[in-house]
Amino acid sequence: MRLGEPARMQAAINITPLVDVVLVLLIIFMVMAPQMRKGPDVNLPNTTKPNSQGDERGRILVSIDEAGGLWINDQPVAAEHFDETLRAAVGAETNPKIVIRGDAKLNFREVREVMVAIEQTGFRGVGLIAKRAGAEGK
Amino acid sequence: MQFNNNDSGSSLQSEINITPLVDVVLVLLIIFMVVVPLLMEGYDVDIPRASADTSTPVAESQLILSIGSAACPIFTPPAGEGIPKNCQVTLADQKIPVAELPARVAAILGGRPAEQRALFLAVDDRLNYEAVLRIIDLAKSGVEDLKIEFVAAN
Repeated sequence: MRLGEPARMQAAINITPLVDVVLVLLIIFMVMAPQMRKGPDVNLPNTTKPNSQGDERGRILVSIDEAGGLWINDQPVAAEHFDETLRAAVGAETNPKIVIRGDAKLNFREVREVMVAIEQTGFRGVGLIAKRAGAEGK
Repeated sequence: MQFNNNDSGSSLQSEINITPLVDVVLVLLIIFMVVVPLLMEGYDVDIPRASADTSTPVAESQLILSIGSAACPIFTPPAGEGIPKNCQVTLADQKIPVAELPARVAAILGGRPAEQRALFLAVDDRLNYEAVLRIIDLAKSGVEDLKIEFVAAN
């Protein structure tokens, strides 16, 4: 810079801190995303072409973990209280969708018993959640 | 000629233009925030109505797929993809290897209108859940819009 000459104005906004913050947020969300799911960690069965079951929100999640324990949304439920807890979870919803997240190690009896329990509270259709082979996710 | 680039009007811009990078990263951030953690995939099935009386005769057109534990002994999650070769299932009273399932289901149900494409599943209780889902997956790959309903196993 020579004397007498004004310093050049820098017209561009410095976006480097913005980029830093956004990248950090991105990494946080990428890491946290699998843990934001409701319910226990379930090792979902692998299949080749599962259909979309839509968004987790607005669904009632019934999870069956590896040991056969039942969960409704993110609460563990004893088998004898399953019916009333499920009714409470449905609440006033007019057209609830129930999905079952069953562990791959279960045998079919445990899943069938849960389906029968769901049927007894008045629902006929459920979604059986799987994951696409090779995809990540819990 | 002037060597002092700082003073010339058409100075070389030595900084990388990161604005497109910021755009892309912001969009990625929004996608990850909103979509990824909440999407699920699976199969819609109907549950047998335990309270209904079972005396109603089975309609002729009902296609029943039985998966027994003797012909299809899968009690632990099958490794890799697909179903083990030793699995045989019974479709409409015919014993077939599980690999033929998509073709058979397509042959029987493919000609029916979409709302009548239903497969009734009688599954042995001892079978592994993942194996059952894989067989459902296989059956569904034969025809579009296949409805799956569970019935009580014999």
